[in-house]
Amino acid sequence: MQRTNIKFSIFKYAMLSLVAIFVLFPVYYMITLSLRSQSSLFSRSTLLPVDSNLDNYRAAIENTDFKRALLNSVIICGTATAITVLFSVMAAYALVILKFKGRDTLGRIIIIAFLTPGALLFIPLAVIMANIGLSNSLQGLILVYLSFMVPLGTYLLIGFFRSLPPELEEAARIDGASRLQALWMVLLPLVAPGLVSVAIITFTGAYNELLYSLVINISPEMRTIPVAILNLSVADEVPWGRTMAFSSIAALPVMAIYFVGQRFVVEGLQTGSVKG
Amino acid sequence: MSRNTIESSRLVSTKKRDGIFAASSLFGYLMMLPVMSVLVFFFAYPLTFEVWTSLTDSTLGNDAKFIGIDNYIALFSDPEFITAARNSVVYVSFVQAGKFILGLGIAILLHQKLVARGFWRAVVLVPYAMPGFVAFMVWKLIYNPDVGALNIFLTKTGITDAPIAFLGDRTWAMASVIFATIWRGFPFWAIMFLAALQAVPKELYEAAAVDGANAWHRFRNISLPGIRPVILIVFMLSTINTINSFEAIWLTTAGGPSDATVILPVFAYKGLATFQIGESAAAALSMVPIAVVIAILLLNKLKKD
Repeated sequence: MQRTNIKFSIFKYAMLSLVAIFVLFPVYYMITLSLRSQSSLFSRSTLLPVDSNLDNYRAAIENTDFKRALLNSVIICGTATAITVLFSVMAAYALVILKFKGRDTLGRIIIIAFLTPGALLFIPLAVIMANIGLSNSLQGLILVYLSFMVPLGTYLLIGFFRSLPPELEEAARIDGASRLQALWMVLLPLVAPGLVSVAIITFTGAYNELLYSLVINISPEMRTIPVAILNLSVADEVPWGRTMAFSSIAALPVMAIYFVGQRFVVEGLQTGSVKG
Repeated sequence: MSRNTIESSRLVSTKKRDGIFAASSLFGYLMMLPVMSVLVFFFAYPLTFEVWTSLTDSTLGNDAKFIGIDNYIALFSDPEFITAARNSVVYVSFVQAGKFILGLGIAILLHQKLVARGFWRAVVLVPYAMPGFVAFMVWKLIYNPDVGALNIFLTKTGITDAPIAFLGDRTWAMASVIFATIWRGFPFWAIMFLAALQAVPKELYEAAAVDGANAWHRFRNISLPGIRPVILIVFMLSTINTINSFEAIWLTTAGGPSDATVILPVFAYKGLATFQIGESAAAALSMVPIAVVIAILLLNKLKKD
């Protein structure tokens, strides 16, 4: 019995180590190549970190287009996330706590919007944005991003509001709180983890978005990060070291946010799909 | 609606002026207003506009003329569209099968007694935390015949003599893209399955152990039924995401070599890029039937809970 336990333990950790290599190798390769020049890549084919220097990062810092794209992404996604959290709280609160005619229908519409693939709507959105003069603008992309962030945020927050005891709001109201006071002082503090999780999940969703950005913000000054990195390649020539350095700069802060807020992200995903 | 509910709702509405104009209803609509405005302007309107466009001969700058279902007829006789539709089915099926197997396997692994389970769970989350556009650029690099890690590994160990152009070779391209997509997507499944496994009551396992059930029987008869609802939801949410995965293809192969990896969103994008707006709209809308089936299944599932 003891022996099989030890064997099983070894097997478990061996498997986990394999998983860790599978998962972490691409990150390792991204970072080691970001430190190498294009000529080093072609002259020395190795998986080890060799010829490391910071030239590609220096190039990134000096690249005004890239810095501009980074700023654009932060402005667009930050603003859209703030709006999303506000709007989603209001809607999720109404759908779970309040009773009104047509509530179930509105809830269903939100789920349908949540389930609609973004690739379905990029053509009309690109045409509409061009028609109303909002393509190649930060405001335009913020509005477009709300179309998928708001249903996602509302869907996730519905799960969080549902997990609260239903008598809570009533009790606060009996104690003399108005509806808004009850929401602000009693319910919101309790769904705070949900707000953090919605903020992280929708922010990263917007930050990672490529298709809308590609068709709506075409001009170099209005590009977001994914498009800027895609545009480093000319035809089939990819400057690998530089692309990986720019990618690391783009990815590592977001990944850090993810891990700091890991508890909230996991809770959000689970509330959305397990309890939802 | 049963007769009883109709009567009781009529009763209430005459007594308390409930319904649309009651104070609490107005407050509810007020709270819904921002989200519904977003959905009207950036969801319902574009969708309607797209259905209309798909019925016109819209290209860049011309006055769109109504042509009925001609775009759809043209589409279904366009070999590239047929290829894209077929590729989409292959791509989504294999990606989902891979994510399921890997996700469930790793969830079971993480569900065992482990030192530092939190750490291992964090490791598994890495691909999910990595932005997709970065992940697929890295995989494009890994598959590269000149400087890619996979080819360096294969040639150095002598498994192959010459490097393989994984993304440029018709026999490898689809499988390579599928593999990269699985890498990026399986953590969501693993984390959801882990949570579901942890929610299965422990007493069930203890009772089964007393009855002498072995590990496989416990898994088959307790774990699997216990996590079935989660499997269904995760499967549906992830399928929608995978149908949608434009970036996975565009950043790695851009649909090539010679359409071997073109899926529907890429086909529609290429159509828009050449200003075949009407036909592209029709192509994008051809994804609707799949999405609708999934949405109906999910709505029913949520209603039952």
